[in-house]
Amino acid sequence: MSFKQIGAEEKSTRRSALLKKFQGAFSERPIEPIEVEPSILRRWTRRDLLLFGAGTLATLVVGGSQLPRNVLQRLGLDQGGTTGPENKWLLNQALRLDDDVSTALYSQHHLVPTYTKSQITPLKNNYNGATPDPAYIPGWRLTLDGLSSGLTVSLDIEALLARHQLHDQITRLVCVEGWSAIAWWSGLRFDDLLHAYPPVSQAKWAHIESSVNLDANGNPDPYFVSIDLLTAQHSQTLLATHLNGKPLPVEHGAPLRLLVPMKLGLKNIKAITRITYTKDEPPDYWAKRGYSRYDGI
Amino acid sequence: MSSRRPTCGETMTTGARALKPRALVVRRHHLLVRISHWLTIPLLLGLILSGISIYWASPIYQHDPNPTTGSFDPFADAGIWICAHIPWLHHYADPANWVYNHGSLGPYMLAFALRFHWLCAYLFMLNGLVYLAGLCSGGGWRSLLPRLSDARGVLQMARYYLGLPYVILARRQPIHPNFRTKYNPLQRLAYFAVAVAGFLAVATGWAIHKPAQLSWLTGIFGGFDNARVWHFWLMGFFLVFVIPHVVLVIADGWDTLRSMITGWSKKFKRSEVSDHEL
Repeated sequence: MSFKQIGAEEKSTRRSALLKKFQGAFSERPIEPIEVEPSILRRWTRRDLLLFGAGTLATLVVGGSQLPRNVLQRLGLDQGGTTGPENKWLLNQALRLDDDVSTALYSQHHLVPTYTKSQITPLKNNYNGATPDPAYIPGWRLTLDGLSSGLTVSLDIEALLARHQLHDQITRLVCVEGWSAIAWWSGLRFDDLLHAYPPVSQAKWAHIESSVNLDANGNPDPYFVSIDLLTAQHSQTLLATHLNGKPLPVEHGAPLRLLVPMKLGLKNIKAITRITYTKDEPPDYWAKRGYSRYDGI
Repeated sequence: MSSRRPTCGETMTTGARALKPRALVVRRHHLLVRISHWLTIPLLLGLILSGISIYWASPIYQHDPNPTTGSFDPFADAGIWICAHIPWLHHYADPANWVYNHGSLGPYMLAFALRFHWLCAYLFMLNGLVYLAGLCSGGGWRSLLPRLSDARGVLQMARYYLGLPYVILARRQPIHPNFRTKYNPLQRLAYFAVAVAGFLAVATGWAIHKPAQLSWLTGIFGGFDNARVWHFWLMGFFLVFVIPHVVLVIADGWDTLRSMITGWSKKFKRSEVSDHEL
């Protein structure tokens, strides 16, 4: 054999040794049987089965304690006669954790995805109750409270449209129910309103109300949401006046609604009649009904 | 769990003979793998029950309203059909919601279902980390990695199972293909797929949960609506996996089921023990 051939052989054996080592790292190790006395095996088995049973019981109790009352009733497990709000500690902790995660993920400069006009999809009327009678629209005014000037300001739609530049954005509205729609919104930036009528310096929240909201039977059911001012100042948070190029119709909250695409649809309050700036978090319609407070997406 | 190597001539306090017949066992599953395995059951159950309640609020699959029933949801259609065709369900109060009442926390439960889903989801993610820790600590991860050479073995196992009904009916002796590894290739593929499905279910969940702040993640799955579809079918995968898994564990005998509780097994092949090349 020539030196060249020997060298080539050495190289290939080295390569296949390396390959074997690499494959060896990923391949199963030979198992090592252990000798144990059967009585010890029985003891271990008994101990582990008892632990398993205890764990199963604990899981059933803890998990079952968090199930909603009517599920327990359907399973025939409810003690019966218990009325009033359900307080599920673990569930509330999970909701708080999730809201904290949402708050942490929020970024003032991160923009939500925007779309083109060809991607617009139909947007349904998602009024939870009856749609308000459009009679409120001609005399509509927006009331602002909690301002640093100490005054209460009342504006009509012409004042809003005249004094502030309108911005367009085509964004996705995501409903808590799971559906979403892409729509073209136009309106003034909430941030511009905050600059024109500054809130008191300690304010961290906006309490936004719609007094014209109705329940399913057509009776007054005022709607209200809490919005943190940080989100309100985001460049994509609009006080929308137009949908798909036309003034808002009554089904979509004429003449002014909130458009906050980095929160769930339920925060996008329609037919706004009043905004009050507060220091502490104000109440929220759906948060009272068991949904999240922050609703960040 | 400690085990001592026997030393000859040891006497017992009772005065019995020192050398008793000993059993040979092998370690199969690390403690963390076992804990996370069993916790997956209530967590996955909670996720699916609450998930279907969430699905009810806005079903992914809808059709034009049925002129007779007014239903736009195939699951509602199924409920109506079931109640119409099963004798003792003819007078069921809410046929359209039969499937939801028996396969979820129920309709009209969105707020509760969301909270329950998130509780189970965060615990599920934690559980997944525990599982990974157990796989690493026990070295079990090596037994789960599929290899290219598995393809042949997967087909062998598939052919075995497909032929099993005939073999049983014809009273022939089923001949299980022999493999020298902890899991046969089809098993390995299935268990690996479940782990991947768990990861994807969590990823698609976040994609649905944060389509604005994690828009890049939602984009990977083709947008918000597609991410919902992924999430739904991944749930379907778990359901499809569970049935053969439970059937085969039972068919394999008590030792196999016990090994997932105690961590050791009395069943092992000589070929697993001896030195082999892979």
